[in-house]
Amino acid sequence: MTTLELPATVRRPRVPASFGQAAVGALVVGLVVGPFIPLVYSSIRSKALYLPGGTFSLAGYRTLFADPAYWTAVKNTLLFAVSTTTLAVVGGTLHAILCTRTDLPGRRAYGLLLTAPIVVPPLGLVVGWLTIYGQGGYLTQLVSRNLHLPVWNLSSIPGMSLFGAVVTLPIAYLTVRAALSGTDSSLEDAARSAGAGPLRVVGRITLPMLRPAMLNCTVLIFSLCLEILGIPLFLGGPSGIDFYASYLYRSWSNSATPDPPFVSAGAVLLLVVVSLLLFLRSRLSGAEQRFVAVGTRGGGLRRPLELGRWRRPASAAVGAFIGVTSVIPLIGLILMSFVRVLTTLEAPWRLATSDNWRAVATDPALRRAITDSLLIAVGGGAVSVALVAVAALVAHRSRFPLRTVLAPTLMYPRAVPGVILGIGFFWTYLMFTPGSLVRNNLWGEAIALCVRNLTLAYVVIQPSLARLSEELDRAGRAAGAGWWTIARRILLPMLRPALLAAFVLMFITLLGDYDPVVFLQKPGTEVLGVTMLQYWSTGVQGPVAALAVIQVVLTAAVLLIGARALRRASHA
Amino acid sequence: MPEIRVQNLRKSFGASTVLDGIGFTVRDKEFVTLLGPSGCGKTTTLMSIAGFQTPDEGVIAVGGDVFVDRAAGVDLPAERRDLGIVFQSYAVWPHMTVAQNVAFPLSLRKVDKRTARGRVAEVLELVELGAHADRYPHQLSGGQQQRVALARAIAPSPRVLLLDEPFSNLDAKLRERARDRLKQLQLSLGLTTVFVTHDQDEALAMSDRILVMNGGRILRDGTPEEVYREPGARFVAEFLGQCNFVTGSIETGPGGGAVLRTRDFPDGIAIRADGVSASGAATVAVRPHDIELCGPDGNGAEGTVVESVFLGDHYRYTVAVGGARLEVHAARPVAPGPVRVRIPPHSAVLVD
Ligand SMILES: Nc1ncnc2c1ncn2[C@@H]1O[C@H](COP(=O)(O)OP(=O)(O)OP(=O)(O)O)[C@@H](O)[C@H]1O
Ligand SMILES: [Mg+2]
Repeated sequence: MTTLELPATVRRPRVPASFGQAAVGALVVGLVVGPFIPLVYSSIRSKALYLPGGTFSLAGYRTLFADPAYWTAVKNTLLFAVSTTTLAVVGGTLHAILCTRTDLPGRRAYGLLLTAPIVVPPLGLVVGWLTIYGQGGYLTQLVSRNLHLPVWNLSSIPGMSLFGAVVTLPIAYLTVRAALSGTDSSLEDAARSAGAGPLRVVGRITLPMLRPAMLNCTVLIFSLCLEILGIPLFLGGPSGIDFYASYLYRSWSNSATPDPPFVSAGAVLLLVVVSLLLFLRSRLSGAEQRFVAVGTRGGGLRRPLELGRWRRPASAAVGAFIGVTSVIPLIGLILMSFVRVLTTLEAPWRLATSDNWRAVATDPALRRAITDSLLIAVGGGAVSVALVAVAALVAHRSRFPLRTVLAPTLMYPRAVPGVILGIGFFWTYLMFTPGSLVRNNLWGEAIALCVRNLTLAYVVIQPSLARLSEELDRAGRAAGAGWWTIARRILLPMLRPALLAAFVLMFITLLGDYDPVVFLQKPGTEVLGVTMLQYWSTGVQGPVAALAVIQVVLTAAVLLIGARALRRASHA
Repeated sequence: MPEIRVQNLRKSFGASTVLDGIGFTVRDKEFVTLLGPSGCGKTTTLMSIAGFQTPDEGVIAVGGDVFVDRAAGVDLPAERRDLGIVFQSYAVWPHMTVAQNVAFPLSLRKVDKRTARGRVAEVLELVELGAHADRYPHQLSGGQQQRVALARAIAPSPRVLLLDEPFSNLDAKLRERARDRLKQLQLSLGLTTVFVTHDQDEALAMSDRILVMNGGRILRDGTPEEVYREPGARFVAEFLGQCNFVTGSIETGPGGGAVLRTRDFPDGIAIRADGVSASGAATVAVRPHDIELCGPDGNGAEGTVVESVFLGDHYRYTVAVGGARLEVHAARPVAPGPVRVRIPPHSAVLVD
């Protein structure tokens, strides 16, 4: 054996890694924090920003606190957020464990179907639920009018919480599942061979290991609940129940002068609450390190926990859950797109029509909405995932001095009400000269939507990154690799499954999200969500259902392809 | 001439001091082991050399290059230190084949493809993994992964090889083979090596020199024989295998050497040590296999065999001598009951 004659030094890039890290960090912080500056500024002015003669004043806050409707909205929101989050996290975790760690019959199909509420775009699901379970809904009519039974009220806070949990459960499910598929099941096997039954293994080993993932999605879902706009607008309307976001939205749109300072004040207060929440979370979940399963060995075949005689009942329960929450509303939605009106008084086929679909095919605004949204979902999704992946590496795997601000920054946009972020972008584009480059075209909307959803990519990528032992990058550094080389050749390739999952989630969300662009959309720059909202509010229901069906088909296709690719990626 | 110089390394995490003035040198081609109980700061020391921990104080230099000098504000990044390192978890990259893992450090240097391929083959042959070049890590056993990590570490001919308990995840049989293989490799390549372990057999078998650590300090520095025979500190004696301790007072013996006086050994115990100041209370350490047992009629201290265990190549006896209990290893069987216990001259060493 000879010793190799090697050049003494390794090739080094001319620019130190910290410049690139700083650039990525600055970009992320700028994009996320930037829009809030005009927002905060406007909350402490006496008049809207574009009006002359404003002075600094806290009048906005005083107006807000004097309004009893504001305090009612706060109370409603808290009630809703607590019950929704509890239901969603418990449900999502339960389903994730059942579908990945047990021998539940049909777990693979369920695993796919459980994500349905994000496959169905938020407005589509609302429309679907309203057509079936709403006050005039098909099943509601059937039970109350035809069977003369007491009936539920979807427009009450419990009703909305239930729906909210259905909408947010997939977030908990996906986060927990991603964490589960990464943890070494030999940890569970070890407990089983120590004599622990399946239930005890789940309680003592699986659940504690899942703590970071569960904490992550609890905060995320809770924050989502604080800002939810579609549910109070569509479901709360009939009973006059307002939530925080809908209170702000209504105040904004009903006000004589747009953007009254007290709306900004309300938005700023919510920002503060949400920021405190994030700070709390960073305190709670500090010790990522503890959950690193030692090394990358393990191997061996994964044997599921046996449910025994609970197999069939559990499977039936999961199936029924999916049927009631997703399949039936989806059928309602599809029916709706093919009929003039859905009612128990007349058989649906008597009311069949193709007008809704013809409208989608011919109306240029509707067609543009589809192509624009697709463009944003694909392009924006890819760019966002790339940015978030690198930002996550800077945040967790670099010695960049300001790295600790990045994780909370990445969690921020999704914790902030979308409507408020949208207002922030609206003012930013209006106030700053470079903003005119993206004002009145699709770029502005794409940026707002992507920034808003950076968090989703992050919460998928971060747990996977935390599970990669730091010795893997240390080995790279000892071999002589710099930070970018390690990122490019070691960490990012190992994160491939997570990146793919993040892209799929981004695509789906970007296709359906609308709150941040409610105030940005102009004729000619339509996206699906806002167009559906606008058409629905003018009483057009059929074409909206048709658009929702298109969203469903598109996202289902991406999800299927993504799931297949993910399987291949994690096999390699 | 890669000589590692470590001076006055200090490191605290919050209130707990983990390294408390560590200093040593490793000469060219030398195999030095950091030996000590769990939590004594071995990994922290090794990671400070590798560049993954920054000491609060101290100097680390290899050859002419200063890696760390806190006083002068020098702290070379890990990737510029040109060291080979094997982690406890191996850290073999799961998305690369064995060959790609080994080729990675070469690809970072200006090595042309042909040379690199040849080198990878050569190194894999060396660790007997030539046939597994195209496998992925999850298709390998633990021992094979450990060898991939080793191959990857030595592929670019590093100045220094650092190993952090590389065998702790292997079973005993495999560990012995891996140990022999590593030692051979180190000798034939002339690698300057720092090895971390808490297993004294491993340390004794492989090292040119052993540094015994406890509580963030180095207690003893010497060849395996020196450290074993003259532990110097009670902790070191105990850590390197079973040991009996006898306490008494030191006097100058008839031959001029030092003798430990104690009630249980009327003849005293001759101490192997030069220049022992002949006064005061002291403790000596005696290895179990150095103690001789003979029948009740022989000479030596009176004792009683209270327990005996057959261990294949020797017997282990527990012998009560006065108030003390001694552990004795003997090749031949001894009947239970009264015996005479003799501690041959120069098998007892002063500790503490
Ligand atoms: N990042 C850290 N934060 C706080 N304390 C630490 C940290 N890393 C190590 N320590 C402490 O430093 C001490 C020495 O750790 P080190 O890993 O060097 O021990 P070791 O000798 O390698 O032990 P082992 O044989 O168990 O690997 C331990 O008491 C440990 O608790
Ligand atoms: Mg250690």
